[in-house]
Amino acid sequence: MSADHPAAGPHTQGLDTMIGIVWRTRRRGILIGVLALGGSLIGTAAAVAGLYDTPSKIHTYAAAVTAGSALAAINGHVEGIDSLGGVIQDEFGFLASFLLPLLGIALVAGSTRREEESGRLETILGGRITRHQPVLAALLVAAAAILGMSVLFAAGLVVCGVPVSGAILYSAALGALAFVFAGLAALLAQLVPHTRGVYTGSLTVLAAAYVLRGVGDTTKSGLALLSPLGWAEKAAPFGDQRWWLLTIPVVAGLAAGAGAVRLAGRRDLGSAVLRGRAGPECASRFRRGPIGFAAWLHLPATAGWLAGAVLLTAMMGALSRQLLDALAGNPALTNAMGVAGDRPLDGFVAATQLYLAVIAAGFLVQAIGTLRAEEAGGRLASRLSGTLSRSRWLFAHGTVILGGLALIVAGSSLVLALSTAWSVGDTGEFGAIVSAGLDYLPAELVLAGVALALFGLWPRGLGFAWAAFAAVAFIALLGPGLNLARWVLDLSPITYVGGPPRGAVDAGSLAALAITAVALVMLGFLGFRRRDLSES
Amino acid sequence: MTDPTHVIHSQQLTKTFGKVRALDGLDLAVRPGEVHGFLGPNGAGKSTTIRILLGLIRATGGRVELFGADPWRDAASLHGRLAYVAGDVALWPGLTGGQCLDVIGATHGRVDERRRADLIERFELDPTKRIRDYSKGNRQKVALIAALAAGADLLILDEPTSGLDPLMEQAFQNCVRERRDAGVTVLLSSHLLDEVEALADRVSIIRRGRTVTTGTLADLRRNSRTSVHAVTTEEPGSLAHAAGVADYVSERLDGHVDIRFTIDAHHLDAMIGTLHAARIHTLTVAPPSLDALFLRSYGDAPEARATAATFAENTR
Ligand SMILES: Nc1ncnc2c1ncn2[C@@H]1O[C@H](COP(=O)(O)OP(=O)(O)OP(=O)(O)O)[C@@H](O)[C@H]1O
Ligand SMILES: [Mg+2]
Repeated sequence: MSADHPAAGPHTQGLDTMIGIVWRTRRRGILIGVLALGGSLIGTAAAVAGLYDTPSKIHTYAAAVTAGSALAAINGHVEGIDSLGGVIQDEFGFLASFLLPLLGIALVAGSTRREEESGRLETILGGRITRHQPVLAALLVAAAAILGMSVLFAAGLVVCGVPVSGAILYSAALGALAFVFAGLAALLAQLVPHTRGVYTGSLTVLAAAYVLRGVGDTTKSGLALLSPLGWAEKAAPFGDQRWWLLTIPVVAGLAAGAGAVRLAGRRDLGSAVLRGRAGPECASRFRRGPIGFAAWLHLPATAGWLAGAVLLTAMMGALSRQLLDALAGNPALTNAMGVAGDRPLDGFVAATQLYLAVIAAGFLVQAIGTLRAEEAGGRLASRLSGTLSRSRWLFAHGTVILGGLALIVAGSSLVLALSTAWSVGDTGEFGAIVSAGLDYLPAELVLAGVALALFGLWPRGLGFAWAAFAAVAFIALLGPGLNLARWVLDLSPITYVGGPPRGAVDAGSLAALAITAVALVMLGFLGFRRRDLSES
Repeated sequence: MTDPTHVIHSQQLTKTFGKVRALDGLDLAVRPGEVHGFLGPNGAGKSTTIRILLGLIRATGGRVELFGADPWRDAASLHGRLAYVAGDVALWPGLTGGQCLDVIGATHGRVDERRRADLIERFELDPTKRIRDYSKGNRQKVALIAALAAGADLLILDEPTSGLDPLMEQAFQNCVRERRDAGVTVLLSSHLLDEVEALADRVSIIRRGRTVTTGTLADLRRNSRTSVHAVTTEEPGSLAHAAGVADYVSERLDGHVDIRFTIDAHHLDAMIGTLHAARIHTLTVAPPSLDALFLRSYGDAPEARATAATFAENTR
């Protein structure tokens, strides 16, 4: 057929083919990502709409939120918050800042550098596809997916009762945010040799963008306009509606994408602009042992999660003075936030610890996912072909992951306690803050138990551990705000901790969580000892 | 029950993955100190067998013993005596080649540091490069050096030389011979017939999860058909229906008789007598090439089964 249409040229034809390949190989992930994200955004919006169904309720919410700039640091400074759309935007502030960029990054990284690294791209480029077309196709498919998600979300918002223009601008701003990061990921995929580098690089930029936006919003300086997250926010869909601001992310995304396409056309396949150097000839004694080796394997990801957790807690702690000041002048806010009179910081610390618990749970699921990746990549077979037994291998990894968890939770809780003490000028809360962090450990370990049990019994189903994590994160971050039903809240192990230091912790519940976690972990161990290794 | 006469011994081994029957009654016996070639077409079950021997997966049925012990139950302790090279070498991309050697070596217990250095030199490997920056062949070398440097009694090699250049292939063969001379047993799964011919003392050929044939290469040859092309002056009367003769074709050419047929090696002597009586003009007798031999064992031809059956009888 191709020979009959020379006019079409290899150019457009190759692109069509390439788009087809990207779509066919990735459609499941794309559809799940778009539907899950769009669906949960709409579901949350509907819940918010149901909860804040009168102007006076919305007004109370707005008053509570605008009073403390600490919350602006987390969720952003929402213009026009005194409206249903504004409340939704504020509720989404934290989650959307990460989920949408992640969508953009994942859409592109998975079909560019990962394919190149695996050698599959080489097979494709052996056909009638020119070098720049794969990345272009990946960007086009990503843009289409993002557009689909935005349209879905806008429609959902309108159904929930949000004004049409605001709904469209808000979804477009979120879509543009995802698009910027898709472009960035495409560019990074040309610069660094490995998929992991693409994620590390984009997430670093995202963290910087988050801090910039947070600092900009709390200090009311123009700093937020330097951040892609600020662009979305300052478009003010429920305030002044600055449509023109969308041109910044669109142009930035296009520029990054164009740069990526250009680079891809010029560089060698499999090459990268930034390359690794030679390394040591021998492995240290420590790294040869099972524990040392596991530590080496988990180190980069652990460092990333730790950095994120420390960043969050340091920022929150540093802002606690401002929150106290706001509370002092506003008794209504004190009530609205449910803060007890004698220990005004407790509610604030409790909220931060909840975020920290979600981060820690994410670390655990990711770390156990690494074990599965070792197995699926065939490296576990290499590891077990020596005298290392399965139990010792898993035990070594379990120990290292536990160590990582302790480091993240204790370290960030310490940072929160220190920065709070520094900001408020009072160390009275120090112990309570740290112990609140530790109280969450059993609940976090239940999630690790779920992941490990899946790894031991049904390794191909490890994705369900991520689903469990998503549910836990959703319930923890949005559950209280959305007044979710009791039984829904009770699905999450984190609920049983009781929300310290504001809420009371029941030792019995913690013990029950710990026992559950231990039982699940044992199940995972036993299952893993008995099953076949599977690389598919 | 221990079996001192075999390093590896499996009988009626089966393994199913869901509906797929990967092994279907596989017999394999590897004697101490031999290099045992393990052959079979793609998907025959070689890697599956090897993964069972390593205790990475568990047999569904049948018996299997490694050094007289159960490879699933005693995996870790048995691995102290063996070293393994996987068909699809998977290493940690962030480590250098040298670090990988040490990490793998640490799980093998005994590593001969002198031999490690010597092997690095012989295989011309740069141990300071990261695995991700190695070519495919160089990654393969890392796995090979790790296995050859280990103080193991048994080497299990699953297509160990895929990706090696001919020079390195030569180096590999020399190394394997040295290990064998040092008393090490080797199970060598391979698709390279030259390699098997150069190294293997005995071979087992499997197809569809079942052992088709086992024995020395000489045995295999002896039990295969030899092709004969003769030009004689007269028609050799009874040859077409003589014992052991098949594929008989004869035609008259320029006053001579041109005859082609195949014959199994046991009847060669009688055949030569018959031809001689018909006054031989020219005679070519070609023993079966190794390729033909394997093709026959791999393929589905009924003749292959017949050959295998007589062969199995003779080796029992
Ligand atoms: N984990 C698995 N799940 C399902 N089927 C499998 C699995 N592992 C192997 N098989 C099947 O078992 C059969 C034997 O595979 P095996 O890898 O042992 O073949 P092989 O002899 O090593 O082939 P090759 O020469 O191509 O390496 C094949 O049909 C394969 O598809
Ligand atoms: Mg194989």
